[in-house]
Amino acid sequence: MSRRAILWVGIVVLFIYIVIAIAAPLIAPQGPNAITGKPLQPPDNNHPFGTNQVGQDIFSQLVFGTRITLLYGFFAAFLAVVISTSVGIVIGYYGGIIDEIVCRVIDVVMPIPMFVLLIVLTTFFSPGVVQVSLLMGLLSSIQGIRVMRSQVLAVARTNFVEGARAIGASDFRIMSRHILPNVSSLVMVKFVSSSQQLLLMGVGLSFIGMWDTTTVDWGTMIQNAYSQGGMALGLWWWILPPGIAVIGISVALGMIGYSFEEKFNPRVAVNRL
Amino acid sequence: MISGKYLLRRLGYSGASFFVCITITFFLLHLMPGDYITNYLLSLSNTIPQATVDQFRHQFGLDLPITDQYILYIVNILHGQWGYSYAYGQPVFSMITEKLSWSLIIVVPATVLGILIGIIIGAWSGWKSGGKKDLALFNIMIVIRAIPEFWWAIMAGLVFSFYLRWFPLGGFSSISVLSSGLSIPDLLYHAILPIALMTFFIATGNYYVMRNSMIAVIGEDYITTARAKGLDERSILWRHALKNALLPMVTITTFQCAAIIMGNVFIETVFSWPGIGFLTTEALNNRDLPLLEGIFLLDSLMTICAMLLADIFSSIIDPRIRMGNDE
Amino acid sequence: MVLIHIADLKVVFSTRSEKIRAVDTVDLTINEGETLGLIGESGCGKTVMGMAMMGLLPVNAGISGIIQYSGQDLVTAPEPVMQQIRGRDLAMISQNSANTLNPVMKIGDQIAEPLLVHRLYSADEAKNEVIRLLGALGFEDPVQASGRYPHEFSGGMRERVLIALALICNPRVIIADEPTSGLDAQVKIQILHLIKEKVTGNRTLFLITHDLGTASFLCTRLAVMYAGEIVETGPTKDVLSQPFHPYTQGLLASLPSAGLHTIPGVSPSPSSLPVGCRFSERCTAALKRCRNEHPPMKEIGGTRQVRCFLYA
Repeated sequence: MSRRAILWVGIVVLFIYIVIAIAAPLIAPQGPNAITGKPLQPPDNNHPFGTNQVGQDIFSQLVFGTRITLLYGFFAAFLAVVISTSVGIVIGYYGGIIDEIVCRVIDVVMPIPMFVLLIVLTTFFSPGVVQVSLLMGLLSSIQGIRVMRSQVLAVARTNFVEGARAIGASDFRIMSRHILPNVSSLVMVKFVSSSQQLLLMGVGLSFIGMWDTTTVDWGTMIQNAYSQGGMALGLWWWILPPGIAVIGISVALGMIGYSFEEKFNPRVAVNRL
Repeated sequence: MISGKYLLRRLGYSGASFFVCITITFFLLHLMPGDYITNYLLSLSNTIPQATVDQFRHQFGLDLPITDQYILYIVNILHGQWGYSYAYGQPVFSMITEKLSWSLIIVVPATVLGILIGIIIGAWSGWKSGGKKDLALFNIMIVIRAIPEFWWAIMAGLVFSFYLRWFPLGGFSSISVLSSGLSIPDLLYHAILPIALMTFFIATGNYYVMRNSMIAVIGEDYITTARAKGLDERSILWRHALKNALLPMVTITTFQCAAIIMGNVFIETVFSWPGIGFLTTEALNNRDLPLLEGIFLLDSLMTICAMLLADIFSSIIDPRIRMGNDE
Repeated sequence: MVLIHIADLKVVFSTRSEKIRAVDTVDLTINEGETLGLIGESGCGKTVMGMAMMGLLPVNAGISGIIQYSGQDLVTAPEPVMQQIRGRDLAMISQNSANTLNPVMKIGDQIAEPLLVHRLYSADEAKNEVIRLLGALGFEDPVQASGRYPHEFSGGMRERVLIALALICNPRVIIADEPTSGLDAQVKIQILHLIKEKVTGNRTLFLITHDLGTASFLCTRLAVMYAGEIVETGPTKDVLSQPFHPYTQGLLASLPSAGLHTIPGVSPSPSSLPVGCRFSERCTAALKRCRNEHPPMKEIGGTRQVRCFLYA
């Protein structure tokens, strides 16, 4: 499969997920929490994926779960990338003492493990989806600042930036008009890979019970199915759909990231011949 | 060898990192509504006379000004007094150390095997990069990593335990334990699936990094120089490529070894293996802040030590950075 | 006596978007004992020539033609045969960049490697040989030096290590690719003298360079390369004092001593070469036929060749 085909498959799949998320109330009008059938029914005409142990329609849950899962995946990644890019550009461009200070702070903060800290923090704050996404975005932006900074340094020291300064361009203008476009490829790659990573992390956290009981996303669906004996009883329609949903978007994002990687890393391309 | 000044500086940073972690946990603990001890007591019983609460608060220094409490907290942490769990009422530190050995049983073999297998396959794949076999393997690995770890665990459980009945569904011992006591073979029998899964996942991560490292090395000029000397492919691989490609693996490996202590949240939870990972899930479900903070502090300590050790090892192995100049 | 005979050599790089004709029909002979200099600007294909002779082209390179050495065609020779030849008969002094030497291996071990690979010496004898050679190449304490790592040496000393790598098996032919690039003027002079003393002599040296000064100092014969083909050959003195091809004339005129005159225009891209003479667009003496017909190589006076319609 050529790289181009991979990219397009990934994009199409992603698009489908986004459409489902937006159109959720149209696709599954009952909503995820309504009890619409008998417990543990296998798939039939009313329930494409059957029902769970309370009698809720798994299909509806799956559709609505798309919203939440995509939300924390993309929102957190977006935040992380925005923060690490802005900070990276500012400190890379200005250098000097602000660079020193921020780098030292990062040196101290970087070893702090994010996953467990997230768990601790969500125990403390109320674990709403938006709050958790904010935290995830904030914490993971720290890793990215270093990478952004080194890319910015490579660009900022080039001649055309000096030239822009020489004709009196303001710092802000230089940073937004000259430096930002040149690191944009790195930003894209980071956004895609962060989305995949944070989405998986979010689903993992939700699987081990991070949200409160009213939130329904794929992670909680899997957890529910697992803890209520879905694995032990072999009720595949309960366990499989949310898992496959996660795998679908994760692989799609992976495919997009994979094809970007070649575009922006020429060495990979040569070896492929 | 390593400049003392560099070492001191790194130690300083490490200390600062741990200090920040302790500060975070302290603030979270003290910002909770009510206070720490009251919550703990309330978890024991709903009606406790105020005098008892006051006495406990005095004992634990909660009526002191905040700065004194802070210092007391730090001292306690350094002495291994990490507070008491809300849900279990036991000292956090001893709970963690008790579960530690259970995690080690599955994580140590998995990490060692996973690193070895990942490095070997990754080196081979990188060496043959661009070829059909490498590309096939690489694509498979990408898909494997796109699937969450707990899903692999559940699927493995479904297939191997439920459908095939080769392995038990979870736990660490069979019912027979009640009559015949804990037996090693039985324990190992229960451990196989968790260990296999962990190895599987750890190997894929190492594969990816090693492969990238190898690809980078192959493109370097000194490989061409070696070819120009008349070396055959095997000699080039063993004498020139491997040693250089393994350099970045030192850091990664150190981290993974440090992570050993933390167990694995997903695998342990799915298979009900009573290690620290499982404890984490339980603590999360119980909203047991002190226990979670204890686990967090342990994780931080391990990660910080790992970074320090990785730096030290790298400078020992790579002759280019022996001088101790950073960045 | 002709030692290496190159006929009809073509090297084409295939990338996804285009085909790059790096070496486009080169005929060249290298005689035993001479020092032949291949001169040209960056990108004209001269490094590719060196790599082609050693059989070290990357996987996406298509090579055709003949490189005849000692009864063996190096183009079609199987890899095990090439591995025998490399280092022992035919050695290369690679271009000196940051990573030309293995950073985690002591230079003594790196220099000894060809000896051990070609089974010329035992491990101990090899060690002694390395020390002897390092001493002869200007290292003051060869024993200590051989225990050090590449990054501990300056550019000039690293160049000497690369020379040692090539000399260690006492090969018949040495290919030197830009041996003085990136070196300070003083160091450059030292290295040039070193090469003249230790490398030339009975050996055959194929020197690839863009530096006319280096070429005139070391070489007995010159070949000028432009856009993937040879445009002029001849004894060094003759070519430098009486250049035939307009490009060679332009090169000489661009020297500081001659007035730093530039040649107008740029050399053609190897992925889209012009029909006719490749230098015609920049040539001040171009005839009408130069743009449409491709000039063949013409012999002049038995020792010289030129590819130009002005001499047809």
